[in-house]
Formats: sequence, C-alpha cells, structure tokens
Amino acid sequence: MVNLHVNGELRDAADPRRNLLSYLRFDLALTGTKYGCGEGLCGACTVLVDGQPLRSCLATVASVAGGRVTTIEGLATGESLHPVQEAFVEETALQCGYCIPGFIMTAVALLARVPQPDTGQVREALAENMCRCGAYPRIERAVLRAAGCER
Amino acid sequence: MSVGEGLTIRGASALGLPLPASGYARQAYGNVTPDFGPATWLRVAPDGAVTVFAGKVEYGQGIRWGLAMAAAEELGLSPGAVCVVLGDTGRVPWDIGTFGSQSTRHTGVQVRRAAAAAREALLDLAAARLDLPPDQLICHGGHVASQADQSRGLTFAELLAGQEVVREIAAETPLKAASEFSVMGTRTRRVDAVERVTGQAVYAQDVIRPGMLYARVLRPPAYGAQMVSLDDSLARRMPGVVGVVNEGDLIAVLAETDQQADAAHELLASEWTERAGNISQWELPGVLAEAAHNPVTTQEAGDVEAALARARHRLEATYYIPYVPAAPMEPRAAVAEWDGSSLTVWAGTQRPFGIRGELAQFFGMDEAQVRVVAPEIGGGFGSKSLYRPAIEAARLARAAGRPVRVAYTRGEEMAWSTFRPAALITIRSGFDGDGRITAWDYQAVHTTTDRPMIGQRGSETPYAVADARVVVASGVAPLRPGSYRSLGCAVNHFAREVHIDEIAAALGIDPVALRLRNLPDARYRRVLEVAAEAFGWRTAAAPSGKGVGVAIGLDVGSYAAECVAIDVQGKEIAVGRVSSAIDCGLVFNPEGVRAQMEGAIIIGLGPALFEAAEFENGRLLNGSFARYRVPRINQTPAISVALVGSEANPSTGAGEPGIVPIAPAIANALFDRTSKRVRELPLQRQL
Repeated sequence: MVNLHVNGELRDAADPRRNLLSYLRFDLALTGTKYGCGEGLCGACTVLVDGQPLRSCLATVASVAGGRVTTIEGLATGESLHPVQEAFVEETALQCGYCIPGFIMTAVALLARVPQPDTGQVREALAENMCRCGAYPRIERAVLRAAGCER
Repeated sequence: MSVGEGLTIRGASALGLPLPASGYARQAYGNVTPDFGPATWLRVAPDGAVTVFAGKVEYGQGIRWGLAMAAAEELGLSPGAVCVVLGDTGRVPWDIGTFGSQSTRHTGVQVRRAAAAAREALLDLAAARLDLPPDQLICHGGHVASQADQSRGLTFAELLAGQEVVREIAAETPLKAASEFSVMGTRTRRVDAVERVTGQAVYAQDVIRPGMLYARVLRPPAYGAQMVSLDDSLARRMPGVVGVVNEGDLIAVLAETDQQADAAHELLASEWTERAGNISQWELPGVLAEAAHNPVTTQEAGDVEAALARARHRLEATYYIPYVPAAPMEPRAAVAEWDGSSLTVWAGTQRPFGIRGELAQFFGMDEAQVRVVAPEIGGGFGSKSLYRPAIEAARLARAAGRPVRVAYTRGEEMAWSTFRPAALITIRSGFDGDGRITAWDYQAVHTTTDRPMIGQRGSETPYAVADARVVVASGVAPLRPGSYRSLGCAVNHFAREVHIDEIAAALGIDPVALRLRNLPDARYRRVLEVAAEAFGWRTAAAPSGKGVGVAIGLDVGSYAAECVAIDVQGKEIAVGRVSSAIDCGLVFNPEGVRAQMEGAIIIGLGPALFEAAEFENGRLLNGSFARYRVPRINQTPAISVALVGSEANPSTGAGEPGIVPIAPAIANALFDRTSKRVRELPLQRQL
C-alpha cells in the first residue's frame, strides 16, 4: 500500500508497482494526463510531483510515495482557471489538444521557477514536449502571457 | 414523425455526393453508400438551447468552433451559446468522413442554412405573437424582438413553449450577407478550448466503460509475416488475464488492467514465417524507376516531345520523396461494447459512418444496430480514416462478452498505421531565354498500389505551357499507403516547385519573377505577390547566399504561397521565418484559418528537414519517438499568415494548403544559401 496525495486528496494505491500514468488514468479516472509514447519522450503524461514536472509514464506509484501529485484536473480552482490555462484559451494555444495538459503542467513548473521567462527560456523549457498540430507559436505566446510578459 | 418539443431543422445529408467513381474516397475506402437524409441538423430546445448536429469529427482543425460560428452568425448568438454534436452515428447526419478539407465548404454552408432556417421559423413565430411582420423583427441574443422597440420581444424559450415545429432547409433560405457579419470573419474564442486545457475533453484513449477489459494485440514481427505457432500457456497463467483470444488473424491478450495485458503479451511465444522479397528503403527509388503500372495522364496539351526538341533550353531532373508516417500525438484506440445484438464502438476515427459500415458488414448486422462514436481525436492528419482498432475491439468484445479496449502503443501507431506514399518524379522542361516555359513533361510514380488518386492530386502544372504532359503512375507499396495532410499534393509540388526554381537559377532570373511570368491565374499571382511583399522579398537570382526560398501551391481549391529564410549550421537547417499567404475564398473563422496555416507549416517542417520512415526487411526501424524526430517548439520559425481571399468566392479548404509549399520553399532556400541543389527529402539527410 502506498500513500500519495493527488490533487489535494489523500489516496491509497494498492499496488506499489502500478505505473503512475495508468494509476491516474484508469484507477482514478483522471484521464486528462495523456499517454503519447510510454518512453518519457513526448511530454503528454507530464504531472507535477511536489511542484516538479515528472513524466508519469516512466514512474511507479511507489516512486512518488508520500508526494503531492498535481494533474491537469487539479489546476483550476472551482470554475476559475489557472492563469496558464486561461492564457492557453486566450491565445487559442491548442488544436487537437491532446498534448496540451503536458504543455500546461510543464509551463506551470517553469513559471514557478522563473516567473518572468524570456522567449528563449520558454522554448527551452518546452522543447521536450511534442505537439504535432503545430500550435507552438501560440503556446509560446500563451506562456509569456501567463507570465505577464506579452510581446 | 414526432421529433419532440421545440424547433427542429431537417435537411439533406451526404453533401457533395455522389462521388465520382474515380474519386479518392471511393477508391480508398470502398463503395460508400450515402444516406441522403433528411436528417436533423439543428435543434432549438424548449428552453431555448441551440444544438447543431454534424457528421464531421474534431481532430484539431477546430470544426466545432467554425460550425458554432456559422450557426451563431445566422441566429444572432455568440459562438459559445451553440452546442455542436459531432461524429456520433447515432445522433448526427450521415457523412462520408472528415478529410479533403471539406468541412467548411460543404457542412459549414449546410449549418449556416440550417441556422438561417431556424431564424426564419423563430421570426415567423414571433411575428404571430407580436403582431408584427417578420421583416420588422430582429433575432439577437436569444430573443426575437421588434426592430423599432427592442423591449418588445420574446425569448426562444417563450416562442417555443409547448410547440413542436419542424422546418426543412431550403436552398432559398436567405443567408446573411458578408457585409452584415458580426461573428463570422471575426476573432472569437475557440468554443471547446476550456475542456482541452482542463483535461475534461475525452479522446478514444480516455474512454473507460464499466467492466471493460484491456486488450493487447499480438502483431507480426514484420509486414506480411505469417504465424507458424503460438504458445500462450504462460500468458494465460499471468495475474489478471481473462483469456487469450485466437481468431487466426487476430490474437490478443485480455486482462483486467492495462499493465496485466502488457505483461502477459510479453509472454506470448510465437514463431513466424517472414515474407520473401521485402523491399527496403534504400532499394525503393530503384524499384520505382524500374516498375510502374497504371499510368494516368492528368494533363495533356500539344506535343511535348516536339516542344522539348525545339526548346532553347532544356532541363531534366529527378526528385525523390520518401514515405512519411503521420505520427499523431494520440495513438489510435477503440472501446467496443455489445448489448445483445447491438454494438457501440468509441473510435477516434475520421470516418465514423464508414467504420460503422465496415463493422456491420463484418458481423453481418444491419447498420442500424451499430453505433460508432468518434470522441475528440488527438490528431490524425488524414491517417485516422483507416482505423483498425475499431474492428479489433469489437471482435474481442464479442469473444469476451465484456467491453474491450484496444489502445495502440506508440510503436503500434507508427508501424501499423498508414504512411504518406513515397514518390519518384522525373521532370523534363523546355524554356526560352526570358524564362517562359515552353515544354513540360512530368512523369511520377507514387507508391500507391491500388489507390492512384493519392498520387494524382496536385500533379497538374498551374504554369502556362502550350505543350505539356503529366503522367502519374503507381508503384509497389512496401508500406501501407494512406492519407496524410494534402496526400500526394505536397509530394508533387515538391518536385514541380523545386524544378521551377532550377529553371530560374539556370537563367539567373529571380524565382518570384519567373513564377509570375508563367502564372496566368490571378488568385495564384496574388497569394505569391502578397507573401513576397510580407516577406520583404528582394529581387535576386539564386544562389544569392542569403538563404531565401519561395514556393506556391494549390490544394482543395485554395491557393497558398510561402517565402522562407533559413540558415545552415553543419547538418542542421534552421528555418528562421516563414511569410505565407492563403486564398481560401470566404473565410468563416480567420483565427481558425491562421492556426491551420501555422500548423500545416510546422508539421511540414518535419518531412522537409528530417522526417521519413526507415524500413528494412519488412520492419519499420524508426517506429518510436526515440528514433523518430519531429519538429519542436525551439525550432519553430516566426510565421506570418496573410488571408487574401475574396468573400465573393465560395469557401474552400484551409487545413491542407499550408503544407504544400513548405518543403520546396525550404529546398529552394537551401540552394540559395549553399548553391547545393537537393532533390530528395528529407533535406538534412542530404547535407
């Protein structure tokens, strides 16, 4: 049995070897975190653990025991979106949207670390997240907007 | 027939059909049997809520947004007030599928008509209630009111209380003039963005049903391999395994969790006989040069051989474009559930009605017993028209007697999806000293086997040539050919637009000027002129050393031009900026068109620079993201998009034209920068 907090709720995971992504998606029905490659290379499965971005497809629940996991479902407060989510909506920074939870979680972690990033820092932080629809220019604008650094 | 309280707008389905017998969809997907309707396109519920129903699917292109804007415009609402139901065969009008950039030009117009019919019906109801003629009323913000005194009005709910009103869409129903638009043509908020940023949007990979089993299908080790033996005894003993289904051509482990299915799948012991004579990637150009079949002449004028013989200058060159996988972010997935003799399948396909037909045929059922629901789709770019997991899940669910989920891994998505066909194209041209093209002989072989339409798209030259011949043939297809943004159009344009650049360079003429000298179509000329101006194109013959390039394209009725600036560092080409222009006629949703152009340019950077399928002995060698490079945010150029269409022209496609000029524009810029002419994609492999 493993204890962890998911979006503020204390959870008991029965199987410590349970893959974290599968646990979130199928055991907790938090399907906003996506499977893209299973190799930690595309970023679609990114969640925050104690504020740090983590590729959940490569983690087990045991590896985050006692940690505070935040998924895309845990960012908004009631009806009000997190500023990064709001900025993605304002900039239409999405097309199919499948990669977007991973981008948003990575951007939230970036802004916690660097509140006023420049374009280069945004690009570097998001370079390991893949989007195939090509929403990149808008994603970049959205992150800068969320940081209050609109160009 | 009772359709329930409220206002129901019905009209024909199967817009733009019947298809020509030689059409791509018919060739690719078999004999499509349209249901022409009538079907319900729009409902205003007794509480006033407006819902649009359409058979298209949302896979990133923003069609829900565009259709909401179209309906909102005619009904005087904001787009967010319109609910759009898509891609559920149990609820929406029959549709052939979401491909070929057809959604706005056919479905969008039908939704506008439906909303206009609804507006007319509401005006009639209000006229009777308010004792005013309809032409003195206004429909706005969910009310119908007197134009003279807007406090005299009734809400949609008040107008419809206790009523059951049904209207048919009529061709003569007046649509708003473009000059009166207040929603269409403006920048609006994407209607389905909030679900996408909060993780609430449900994709096929996300569908979970009560009692659902997780399947893992056993794939052959190579294309065409035949199974000799299978030992599933270890797999069957693994925890959580409910069974191993063996239906000959479909073998799968079924388990209570995804991890249990994966673990048991690892323990399936199988032996296979591999197909002899698999063609590997490096052999393909030679094979295509040797063997082509089914040549189709797509353009012929005058006597091309005589014109070549008398041409002042001649140029001959051969171009090669390799296979490319679509690699959408969401690997395909399906969940199937049987209820007695009826079947429901959730499948992220671009062709829910087509898949319904395939399921009904396979199981010998009536189509009415099968429902296919296409939820949100995590990208597809054409490749999700053919959609194998739907039938796999349905067969396994039937065998198990429980709902079954088949979700492809990244490796399965790469290897067992479809690929943009490869092509070998030889062009012989003749031209005079002023750069006027006098002869054009275009011979292409695309790896399309029985689907030659893929290769024919965009093969005709738009340049004025009195003596021209364009022949497109099919060649063997070692990988499964399928749709990919613009199909063969981008492939054909690569050869043609690079060749045009070669003519310009041979004569020392600016490549923009040379194109304009040979381009009669005014819409085509305009996109080129606008893109060149936005770019700040300075007249110069290539190679100038600056690294600038240009190309133009025509696809799905829309014109596009792109100018690019690049730099080269070692074996890396950095695309710094792209200035583009598109003419897709009347624009419903300008933000949507801009996003599609940006997206088409960015995805197009991949096949231009580094993306290609590598295969050997029937195996895909780069079928994982560890081995398959895609464009990243830190390689994204600054992109400008100019919309130059006239609202007098009907809406044409916006999703595909943007990818058409990007590869040749970059190849031409590479020549301009380095004086090295590369005639094979991806470009970086040639450096």
